[in-house]
Amino acid sequence: MRLNLTPYDLPDRKLMNREEDDFLIWQPSKDKIVLGQSNQLEQSVNFEEVYTDHIPVYKRPSGGHTVLLTSKTIVISVVVMEDELSKPHAYFDIFNDVVICALKKLGVNGLAKKGISDITIGDRKILGSSIYRSRNKLLYHAVLNVAESPVKIARYILHPTKEPDYRNGRDHEAFVTSLMEQGYQIEIDKIIDQITKELEKQKAG
Amino acid sequence: MGYVFNFPDIGEGLEEGIIAEWYVKIGSEVETGDPLVKMETDKVVTDIPSPRTGIVTKTYGKVGEVIEVGSPLVEINIAGEEEVKQEEVLEEEGAGVVGVIEVAGKDDVMPVSDEVVTSTKKVEESGRRKVLATPVARALAKDLEVDITLIAGTGPGGRVMKDDIRNFQSNMNGKQTDSNSKALSIEVSKDLDELGEVEVVQMSQVRKTIARNMIHSKQNAAHMSLFDEAEVSELVALRDKIKGKYQEQGVKISYLHFLLKAIALTLKKFPSLNSVMNMDEGTITLKKYYNLGLAVDAPQGLVVPVLKNVDQLSIVQISQQSNDIARRAREGKLSMNDLKGGTFSVTNFGSIGGRFAVPVINYPQAAILGAGKIYKKPVVKNNVVLPGVVMPLSISVDHRIVDGGEVTRFMNDIIEYLENPYLLLVE
Repeated sequence: MRLNLTPYDLPDRKLMNREEDDFLIWQPSKDKIVLGQSNQLEQSVNFEEVYTDHIPVYKRPSGGHTVLLTSKTIVISVVVMEDELSKPHAYFDIFNDVVICALKKLGVNGLAKKGISDITIGDRKILGSSIYRSRNKLLYHAVLNVAESPVKIARYILHPTKEPDYRNGRDHEAFVTSLMEQGYQIEIDKIIDQITKELEKQKAG
Repeated sequence: MGYVFNFPDIGEGLEEGIIAEWYVKIGSEVETGDPLVKMETDKVVTDIPSPRTGIVTKTYGKVGEVIEVGSPLVEINIAGEEEVKQEEVLEEEGAGVVGVIEVAGKDDVMPVSDEVVTSTKKVEESGRRKVLATPVARALAKDLEVDITLIAGTGPGGRVMKDDIRNFQSNMNGKQTDSNSKALSIEVSKDLDELGEVEVVQMSQVRKTIARNMIHSKQNAAHMSLFDEAEVSELVALRDKIKGKYQEQGVKISYLHFLLKAIALTLKKFPSLNSVMNMDEGTITLKKYYNLGLAVDAPQGLVVPVLKNVDQLSIVQISQQSNDIARRAREGKLSMNDLKGGTFSVTNFGSIGGRFAVPVINYPQAAILGAGKIYKKPVVKNNVVLPGVVMPLSISVDHRIVDGGEVTRFMNDIIEYLENPYLLLVE
């Protein structure tokens, strides 16, 4: 049994070559696993299940832990070009605030920022984000769980080698949640539209 | 001369990163800003740029290895300078490859980290201090269960050595014996919870950002402050005369708006107060645009949105724009652009009630001016004591960039404008 990494050709690949501020919000069409830059396959995924279910595995340029992308998740990618980039936490704050603002407008309550760059409802995670930064370009990646079952995540993804304080050793089922699981049945298109509006506002200043 | 570049804190407050990719090798020529290495922390992958121009003479660590913040990453032979001085490099027996050479530099003491998982309550309460130490010393400290952050190093650049650990431990053993008779009082004071009810709250992201920025400013700028007062009777009269007219149009004009205009006009005459210093490159960038950051006491904490090109705005335009930006700051609706590009900051703590303060510079800016609460007091005019109205002013400058005489003259000109506010309407 052998798993190979698929070359990173996901929709936000072309965004990384942009030379101006831009963003892309997209809904994955099929299940796929994306490793963080230094994640090792054997420490990150359940080999047998991933192999049996033919789930392609990619490695993204940014940091953070391994994620499962499905059609019930949304991926938010933003590129910022600046001569003097601020430190990463400033961008985590700005873009995670954009998502929070959009979700609040759609009626989601109890949102909070926790850990280094997560968004939670209560103490359960609904979004994780990471950043890749070069000299004058920054790429922000986030995955929002709209309706995916944490059980499915646990099927493919192993418990991470590092975890934020607030996780307290909880397994995926106890730690991750989705908007749907929290009682918010919002169409994915509506969420994408609202986050797009908020990011457009940011872009326009 | 050899320059040892340590892995900097990239802003997450984490203590270590993994080497993801080396862009240079021994012998590579690098210029300031060229990427040296790609590092990964928990959530960020970032290229670390070279701080100096020169030739790489040593790299520390291989791809996949963990490097602690503050530990050496590369050694660069600076072009045109002498070879590495051997006495700057001190190794202890058995020292490992990573972290052996730890030359004292500006990063000796790292900012307090707030994302770090700390193992004891004591460390959380007292804050963490990043220390320079040889790997051997670190290992010894671990074996002896000694908190290395409490030890003053006697090695080069304050580096903690093996002997420092042993001396510290023997001193502590002595103190523990001496203090047994006072055990009761120490035990009582050890746990603050026993003194009364306490509430421990999680820091918000905004609060963490504020904390980092404040420490960064205090550690990197040479703060110097000056206090003065402007007699603003004429400004009060002028504002009273015009405020009604504009209030009907929905524009609320305050004293702060006159002050902003006065600052922008005065900055044109004192370029060093509108500049940024780069010590590594030996440059000061004088900015020819005048964007004023307004410190706003928002519900989520301090934010500093920026009012652009204030020198080109009328008092009414300043009022409209600053009222709008302050409202959006309080409602949490600022965009990224609202927070970018400030060249000088203003804090209006007087709107709450204080008179003087020592404002903390919004680093890397060169200065911040604080306006205190306007109040009545006797003033002397033409040798006659008269009732006056004064606005207290406090300014902090980065003394590396701005000299004492310069800031005093700057303040004099601001006061001149505030005491003769009609000048602000014609300039």
